[in-house]
Amino acid sequence: MGSVSLIILTIAAIVFSAGGILVSKIFVKGSKNPRKGQPYECGIPTETSPWKQFHVGYYLFALLFLIFDVEIIFLYPWAVVVKKVGMMALVEISIFLFILFMGFLYAHKEGALKWM
Amino acid sequence: MNAIILSAILGVIMMFSGIWVNNKATLRWIALAGLLVLLISNIAEMYGYRIWNVNVHNMLYFDRFGLLFNSVAIGSTFIFVALSGSDINRVGKYAAEYYTLIFFVLTGITIISVYTSLLMLFLGIEIMSIPLYILTGSDKRNLKSNEASLKYFLMGAFSTGLMLMGITLIYGATGSFSIEVLNNPAIAQGVSFLEITGMLFLLVSMAFKVSAAPFHFWTPDVYDGAPGVFTSFMATVVKAAAFIAFVKLFDARMSYSSAVVDWKMLLCILIIATLLIGNITAVFQQSVKRMLAYSSIAQAGFMLFAVFSMNEMAKEGIIFYAVSYSLATIGVFAVLLKMKDFTFEGYNGLAKSQPVLAFANTVFLLSLAGIPLTAGFFAKYFMLASVIQTGHYLWMVIVAVLFAAVSVYYYFRVIQAMYFKTGEGETENIHPGFKTGLIILTVIIILLGVAPNLIINFLYF
Amino acid sequence: MSITVVLFWFLTALALLSAIMVLLSKNPVHSVLWLIVVFFAISGHYILLNAQFLAIVNLIVYAGAIMVLFLFVIMLMNLNAETEPQKNTWLKLAGAISGGSLLLILVSVIRSATDMTGRTAQVGEGNIGLISNLGKALFSEYVVPFEISSVLFLSAMVGAVVIGKKD
Repeated sequence: MGSVSLIILTIAAIVFSAGGILVSKIFVKGSKNPRKGQPYECGIPTETSPWKQFHVGYYLFALLFLIFDVEIIFLYPWAVVVKKVGMMALVEISIFLFILFMGFLYAHKEGALKWM
Repeated sequence: MNAIILSAILGVIMMFSGIWVNNKATLRWIALAGLLVLLISNIAEMYGYRIWNVNVHNMLYFDRFGLLFNSVAIGSTFIFVALSGSDINRVGKYAAEYYTLIFFVLTGITIISVYTSLLMLFLGIEIMSIPLYILTGSDKRNLKSNEASLKYFLMGAFSTGLMLMGITLIYGATGSFSIEVLNNPAIAQGVSFLEITGMLFLLVSMAFKVSAAPFHFWTPDVYDGAPGVFTSFMATVVKAAAFIAFVKLFDARMSYSSAVVDWKMLLCILIIATLLIGNITAVFQQSVKRMLAYSSIAQAGFMLFAVFSMNEMAKEGIIFYAVSYSLATIGVFAVLLKMKDFTFEGYNGLAKSQPVLAFANTVFLLSLAGIPLTAGFFAKYFMLASVIQTGHYLWMVIVAVLFAAVSVYYYFRVIQAMYFKTGEGETENIHPGFKTGLIILTVIIILLGVAPNLIINFLYF
Repeated sequence: MSITVVLFWFLTALALLSAIMVLLSKNPVHSVLWLIVVFFAISGHYILLNAQFLAIVNLIVYAGAIMVLFLFVIMLMNLNAETEPQKNTWLKLAGAISGGSLLLILVSVIRSATDMTGRTAQVGEGNIGLISNLGKALFSEYVVPFEISSVLFLSAMVGAVVIGKKD
């Protein structure tokens, strides 16, 4: 059974990672000094919240990444069945990739991929 | 299939022409030429000439009804770009992209007018909506445009989510995406409640897309906040396309489940609410643009009659209504965009300063109000006649006529301002070609008002 | 109780609890992290239903890419306790009532759907979700929607450039 081995692996992974934390919690002598929570050897202590506002320009990259991510997803089942479906599958995926390549070309020509 | 593939290709062409062509006027001519090619190819398909023979696995069915509407939508877009192209170019610096997105919207429209699979309905609606979210927010420096875009996107995504949920439930109940219910084992066992719930979800999301009350709340803000040209496009071609999808869906699925759910009563509530809210709120508007947003809700109420009565006359009527409403609204918006002031006062004395514009605008407004000798009269006539043919809920006809009378009030406020009030009637520079375009549009509307069969005959030949 | 049933209930409880935590967390970043837990639990469900492809897509696209977008948006908006908008009590009430009515309708539908009683999800069997079957359907029967979806991606891409690019 495939799922049993999967479950055993999952449990082993949880035990292995949680165990490490647990063991160190039990055996390490804690120090209550608040300095311990600060970033180590980074010069100046932080003054405001480290969660700074991002520049909106990053978002464009994230969006384009998402679109190509979804595109890649479609390649996976294609790769599995390309032998069975044959020539048609090759033509179909070529059209699909060509259309999306047009989009990539456009984004490149438009300069959307240039770092600001 | 011609129009679907070609509009996508033309979209890609427009996308790249923006990189190589710097002159915005040239871009407009390329878009117009593309639309013309698209129109011709679609009309060719109506006569049986297909460029591509694609095996669509019964997901699309190219019947006369859908193809005729495609022609109407592409033709209206052509007129829209011809009249308001210069205003598109003024919105921002991405003129080529705006045309690209309009072509992609047309791809979506040409899909949802011929779909027979719910999967294609979903894809078509999405391809139609996503470019619209962008076009709404294309005036990037304007906060109102940003707000409208975000609002439209959030509400639209939510309604699409409901649609997906509905499709899932229908799939779960029947095991197929097809809107046809023939040869379906589910019928033998009686209608499943899951399917009914799915249909209800689809009803809600489609009512949202056509901005029927009580799902209309996004409409005024979005139509008001979006750049005027794109409001014109959204309120006409896109709304009519959503109606075609609506009609196709309920035409195929409403009758057999009507033993369980009284769809007519549900639609009756939708129609009355839409007419009431659209017309009454439009009366109190000060800005013509916002008034037109509410009037588009009111007109949606009339178009919903086609979904309600669902007979041959309703199908003829919805196509004719789509033509007359789209053409008249495109005209009204084209004039509105030339005005310096979008309030009713801005129109004061327009008849003196720009007699051609004022006359054409009068004809468009009369057509929207449904006055005889204009296309709008026959559009409303077909809708009401189809309801009388069904023989149910006849009192709705009287209510609809009453609300049509209310609508005369706010349309005539504009006419009154143009002709009977003194003022500057300030406009932008008017190109003589623009006036010619308006006159041609006026002639078309009056011609259709005299001989509506010019369009309807295309359904049967 | 077999191990799949135990797993099913465990994943269900996990998904529901973390979904509630998404709503209850005061910190939006914590909400996003809880949402990732929800996605993982649902992916587990997909695996139980023998739909490996969906499970993978759910992890890669949702838990991976879309969550990154969520975090981006939170960082873009610079949310913190001071700028958190105070919601109207009436609005909350209206939301609760409308959401509750939808829940009521859905529950009553599932209860009254006679053709669904006694039928449960096919756990661990059925091969419709296997990648090879899905791929075959996608590249033969559903090829038209597949190709058309590329137009959807393209329009999204153009839109991203139009909206996102610095003038």
